[in-house]
Amino acid sequence: MVSKSKRIVALILTAMMASSALAGCASGSTTTTSSAPSTNSSAPATESKSDEGSKAGGDNSTDASKVEAANLDSDEVMARIKDKIAEEAAATGGTVQMTLWCSSDDKSFEEGLKKEFEEKYADSRYSFRIKMSPIGEDKAGGKILEGPKDGADVFSFADDQLAGLVEAGAIAQVANLFNNNVINENSAKAVEVCTVNGTSYAFPKTSDNGYFMYYDKTVFTEDDVQSFDTMIEKAKAANKAVFFEMGNAWYNAGFFFTAGCTIKYENGVQTANFTEGDMGLNAVKAMCHIAENIGAGFEGDPGSAGANAFIAQGFKDGKLAAAVTGTWNGPAIKEAIGADNVGAAKLPTVLVAGEQKQLESFGGYKLIGVNAYSAYPITAQALAYYLGKAESQVKRYNVRGLIPTATAALEEEAIKNDPARMAIAAQEPFSHAQGQCVAGKFWGAGVGGYGGDILNAKGKMDDAKIREDLAKIEAKMK
Amino acid sequence: MTTKQPNIGNMQAGYAKQRKIANITVYIILAVMVLVWIFPIVWLVFQSFNGEKGVSLATFFPEKWTFDNYIKLFRQEGLENPMDPNSPMIVLPVDRMPFPYGRWITNTFIVAVFSCVISTLIILMVSYALSRLRFKSRKMLMNFGLILGMFPGFMSMAAIYNIMEIIGLGKQLFSLVIVYSSGAGLGYQIAKGFFDTIPRSLDEAAKIDGATRNQIFWIIILPLSKPIIVYTALTTFLGPWADYVFVSYFMKGDDTKYTVAMGLYEMLRPETMHEWFTVFCAGAVLIAVPITILFTIMQRFYVAGVTGGAVKG
Amino acid sequence: MDYLDYVQMTRGQQISYNIKSFFMGIPGAIKTIFMYIGYFFKSLFGLIVNGFKGYGQRFAAGDGATKLSYIIMGAGNMAHKQFMKGVLFLAAEVAYIYFMMSFGMTYVSKVYSFGVAVDPDHPEVLVDGVVGNVPIRYEIDPDFGMKKIVNADTADDSNKILLFFVLTLMISIAFFVVYIANTKSAYATQEMLKEGVQPIGFVEEMKTFLDERYHITLLTLPILLLMIFNILPIIFTIFMAFTNYDKNHNAFNRLYWWVGFENFADVFYNSAEKSQTFGKVLVWTLIWAVFATFSNYILGIVLALLINKKDIKYKGFWRTMFVITSAVPQFVTLLVMRLLLDNQGIINAMMGTNIRFLADENWAKVSVIVVNMWIGIPYTMLSVSGILMNIPEDLYESARIDGANAVQQFTKITLPYISFVMTPYLISTFVGNINNFNVIYFLTGGAPESVDYYSGAGTTDLLVTWLYKLTVSEQDYKLASVIGIIVFVLCATGSLITFNMSKATKNEEEFS
Repeated sequence: MVSKSKRIVALILTAMMASSALAGCASGSTTTTSSAPSTNSSAPATESKSDEGSKAGGDNSTDASKVEAANLDSDEVMARIKDKIAEEAAATGGTVQMTLWCSSDDKSFEEGLKKEFEEKYADSRYSFRIKMSPIGEDKAGGKILEGPKDGADVFSFADDQLAGLVEAGAIAQVANLFNNNVINENSAKAVEVCTVNGTSYAFPKTSDNGYFMYYDKTVFTEDDVQSFDTMIEKAKAANKAVFFEMGNAWYNAGFFFTAGCTIKYENGVQTANFTEGDMGLNAVKAMCHIAENIGAGFEGDPGSAGANAFIAQGFKDGKLAAAVTGTWNGPAIKEAIGADNVGAAKLPTVLVAGEQKQLESFGGYKLIGVNAYSAYPITAQALAYYLGKAESQVKRYNVRGLIPTATAALEEEAIKNDPARMAIAAQEPFSHAQGQCVAGKFWGAGVGGYGGDILNAKGKMDDAKIREDLAKIEAKMK
Repeated sequence: MTTKQPNIGNMQAGYAKQRKIANITVYIILAVMVLVWIFPIVWLVFQSFNGEKGVSLATFFPEKWTFDNYIKLFRQEGLENPMDPNSPMIVLPVDRMPFPYGRWITNTFIVAVFSCVISTLIILMVSYALSRLRFKSRKMLMNFGLILGMFPGFMSMAAIYNIMEIIGLGKQLFSLVIVYSSGAGLGYQIAKGFFDTIPRSLDEAAKIDGATRNQIFWIIILPLSKPIIVYTALTTFLGPWADYVFVSYFMKGDDTKYTVAMGLYEMLRPETMHEWFTVFCAGAVLIAVPITILFTIMQRFYVAGVTGGAVKG
Repeated sequence: MDYLDYVQMTRGQQISYNIKSFFMGIPGAIKTIFMYIGYFFKSLFGLIVNGFKGYGQRFAAGDGATKLSYIIMGAGNMAHKQFMKGVLFLAAEVAYIYFMMSFGMTYVSKVYSFGVAVDPDHPEVLVDGVVGNVPIRYEIDPDFGMKKIVNADTADDSNKILLFFVLTLMISIAFFVVYIANTKSAYATQEMLKEGVQPIGFVEEMKTFLDERYHITLLTLPILLLMIFNILPIIFTIFMAFTNYDKNHNAFNRLYWWVGFENFADVFYNSAEKSQTFGKVLVWTLIWAVFATFSNYILGIVLALLINKKDIKYKGFWRTMFVITSAVPQFVTLLVMRLLLDNQGIINAMMGTNIRFLADENWAKVSVIVVNMWIGIPYTMLSVSGILMNIPEDLYESARIDGANAVQQFTKITLPYISFVMTPYLISTFVGNINNFNVIYFLTGGAPESVDYYSGAGTTDLLVTWLYKLTVSEQDYKLASVIGIIVFVLCATGSLITFNMSKATKNEEEFS
C-alpha cells in the first residue's frame, strides 16, 4: 500500500514533474533555462491622448433626413483617400494586406467587386493584397468575436449580430465621409438598422434577409396562397407538401408575433412576453394545428441535409409545392420546376385562437462591417463602402439576385418588378426588424428546439405543459 | 468417461453435422454484419457517382451514373468575368475555385508528412527511453503522461492558438504540425510495448562491446523495430487527414490553408450543400481509398502493437 | 483474491464479481483520492523541509566558492575546476535575471489585477489611471470623421498577461530547479576535490549524455514541446476557470479578472440553469460512456470470436471488410450516417417507417450509441483477434489433456485471457468515450435541443461537445474551462476505480 501510494503521490505532483524533467538536464548542464522566450509584445504605451471608454458614443450622428455628403469620386476626395491608404499601407511595407469575408456562394462575385475597388484606388505608393475567405453572414459575427486579430478586416453579416459586435467593441464606426453617402443612398430603414445608439456601425448590403413564400404555380393559384390551411389541403390533394421550418427560431418566431407576443432587444436586454395572457399558448397551438398535418400536406423538419438542400431536393423530386424561405433558395427552386412556374408571395394567414391571421415574420438586412482592430481602418472602410454602394448593389442583384437597399436601385424596373422583391415588400408591414428584436440570448433560449418538440409530438400537446415550457423559455432569455 | 461405450462413428457424423450447421450460422451472421457495416460506405461510393446533384436521401442506386463529381474536385468552372452573368464559362484557376480540393490535398499532405516525421521521431525517442533506459524519474514521467492525457484534447485549444499567434504561427499550416506532433510524446504506449519485447540481452551484449546507449538505439534497436516504425509513421501520417476541430479553430476561415477534412466539411455548408454534396462524396471517397489501403497494410502492425503493449504494460 | 482464484470462477461469477467490485471500489477510490491528496501535501511538506535542510546544510558545510554560488551561480563549479559548467550556470542566472527584468516582472505584477483595476463595489466600472492599467485608446480622425483605436498592440490584454504569467511561472520553477542543482553541484565538486577525486571535465560530462544520461537527450525535446504546447495551455486554461473570461469580458474589452470559485459554484449549485444543465449533461455522459464502452467491448469480442472460429475460412477477408469502415475518416462516415438516419433517409425508406432517429431525444440517444458501435466494434475486433492469436497454444493443450471440452476451454481460458489482457484497453476506451467528440458532434451536434437546457447544450451533448460549443460558439471560456476540469476529474476517477478493481484480479504490478 505504501509503495503504491508513494507512486500516486508522485503522480499527483504534477508541478514537481515539470521541474524534475528539467532537473535532469540541470544537474549536468544548463541549456534549458538559458533561452529567454522571444516575445513581440512591446512595453505598454504611457501617453494618453483621448481616454474614452470603449462603449462611449461617437460623434457621427445619423439623421433620417438627407445630409450633406462629399462626392467620393471627386479628385480632391480621391486624393485624400489615396493619401490615407498610402499612410496606412506604409506601416506594412506599402502593401495593404486585408482579409474580406463573405458567403462561399457569393465569393466569386464579391471577388469581382474587390478587383474593381483595387483598380479604382490603385496608386504607385502601395499595392493591394486582399484575401477572400468564405465565412458566411450567419457565422461572421461570431467568428469576429473569437479574437481581435483573428477576424477579417471587412465582413458581411446578418443585422441581428450588430448589437453584439457593438457591445464588444469589435466593429468600427463608419467614418462620416462614407456615412453621409450611405445615408443619402440607402432607404431610411436600412440606415436605421445600421445605427446603434445614434452611431452608425455598418454599411447596408442587401434587404432580403427575411423570408416569404415560394410556391409552385401549377399547384396553387394566387388565392390559394392566402391561407396556410388551404395550401396544406391543396398540397395534400396533389400529394405534395408545404414546407415551413418549424424547428428554427427565426421562422417560428413569426407565430409568436402573429399571436401578439413581443420579442424585443433594447439596451442590451432581451425580453419576450410568451407567458402574458394566452398569447404564447395561442402561438404554440397555431403551430400545433399546422404540425398535425406532418406527412400529409405539410413538412416542418428539413432533417439532416439542412433546409436549403431539403427545399431544393423537395422541389426537384416533386415532393414540395411551396416553401417558406428567402431569396437564397430562389435559383435552386427555379432550376427545379422552371422559372415560369415559380411564384412568390407574402406569407399566408394562419389559424390563431380561432381566427385567420396574417403570419408575421422577421425581416432583416445583410450588412457589411469593418473590424475595429483593422490595421487599415480607412482603407477597410473605403472597401466596405465600395462593396455596399448603390451601383454595387445593382450589380449584385444582376448576378446574384440579391435585393438592394439603395433607394435608387430599388426604383430600377427589373428590381421593382422582381417577384421576390414584391413578396418581401408585401410582407414588410408584417415583418419585424430582427436587429431590434433579437440578439443576446434569444437564439439560445430554445425557441427553435421547441418547434422541434411540436413536430415530435405531431402537434399533440397539453396546454399546461405548453405554459410551463413557455415560462422556461422566457426565463432563459434573461 | 461413462460406462456405456458410445457408437463412435455415429457420434462423429453427428458432430460433423452439428459443426456444419454452426459454421453456416456463423457465415450468415458474418455476412449480415458485413452488409450492415459496408452499407454506408457503399452508399457513399454510389452517391459519389450520382449524376444528379442534390442530396437524394432515399435513393441507393443513382439514376444517372457519372464520373464528373471526381473531375469537379480538380476542375471547376465559373464565369470568366464574375461581374457579368452573360460572360462565358471558363475553367477556374485555383485561386478562384470555390472549393480548391487539390490545394487542400497538398496542404494536408505537407502537414501529414511533417507531423509524421516529427511525431515518429518523438514517439520512438520517448518509448525507447521509457522502455530500455532506467532512470530516477521514469515512473513519474509515465504517470504524468497518463494524467496529462486525461485532459480533453481541445480544452486548451484557445490557449494554444494564442501561443501560436504570439510566436507568429497564427493561421499557418505549420501550427497544425506543431499541434499534431507536440502531444506525440504522450502516445508512446504501443511503441514502448514493442520495445519491451526486444530481449534485453541484446543491449547487454552491445554494452560489453563498448557501445553507448546512443549507439545501441540507432544501430541495434531501431533496425529491429521496423514494424513499429511503420505502424507509428502510418498512424501519425493518417491523423491530419481526419482532424477537423483544430483546423476549423486555427485557420479562422482562411480557405487557402484548409486541410482536406475541413475543406470537405465546408462543402456541406447550408448554402452549398445542394450543389456540392455529390462532389463531397467523391472527395471523401478519394481520400478514403489510399487511407484504406494504408490501413489494411497497417492492420497486422496494429494487432501486434495493441496486444504487445497491453500484455507488457 | 488473486488471478488464479479469479480465473477459476465461472463467467457469471466473474461478471457479478466485477460489477460488485466496481461499486465496492467507489468509496475506496474516493478514500484513496483523499489519501493521495493527503500524501501529496505531506510529501510536499517533507520535500520542502528536506530541501531547506539540505540547502542550509550545504551552505554551512560549503567553502567560500560554494557559498558564493548561492548568490552567483556557477561560482562553485568554476572554482572547483568545472569551468564550463560554471559558466553555463552563470549564463542561466544572467539570462533569467534579464528575462525577469525585461519581461517577466511586468506580467507577474499585472496578473493580480489583469492590468485592470476594478472597483469592488461596482465591478462593471473600471478605475482608470492605476499603475499597469493601459486601456484601449480611441482617437478621432478629423479628416474622415471616424473614431479609431490607436493602441491596439500595446493596450493591456488580460489574455496575454495571464499567458505570459504562466510562462514566467514555468520558467521560474525551472530556474529554481537549476539554481538548486547549482548549489548541489558546487558542493559535490567541493567534496570530490576534498577526497582527491578530479571532477570530470566538461567534454567528458557531455559525453555522458550519449550514454548514462541518454534519457535526458532523448526526452528533452519531447518534454519541452509538451511543456509549451500542452502543459502551458492547460495551466492557462485551468486558471481561466477562476476568472470571468467570456463574451462580455474578453480580448475586445481586454479585461477579465479573478472571481475565485464563482464559476464552480455556478456549475454545482449557485445557478439553477447551469447546475441543472450540467447535471443532465453529466448523467448522459456517464450513461453514454458505459453503454458505448461495454457495447463495443462485448460485441467486439463476439465478432472476433466468430471470425476466429476454427473452421471459418477467409478470416483476412472478413476482418478487412470490417476494418475498411474504420479507415474512412470518421467525419465522413458520421455525416453519411446522419443522412442515412434522416427522417426521410434510406433507413426509414427501407423499413417503411418515419422514425425521427436524430430529432427525437430518446431515439437520438439510442442512435448515437448504435452508430458508435458501428464505429468502434471493428477496433475491438481487431485487438481481440490479435489477443486470440497470442494465447499460448499449450494452455489449450493442457486443458485438452485434462479433458476440458470446447465450452470449458472457452470459459476457462479464452475469456479470462481476453478480459485480462483487455482491461487497460477497457480503461482507455472508457476515458476515450467520455471524451468522444466526433460521434456526437458530427452525428447530432448535440441536438435535439430542449427547453430544460442552458444555452448551448442539447440533449445528446456530452461534456466535451458542450465544452467545444462553449468555447467556439458561446465564447463562455470560463465555463468551458470548468467543464474541462470536471471532465479531467471524471476520467481520472474512472481510471482509478477501474485500476484498483483490476488490480484486485490481476497480478500486475504496473499500471500503464
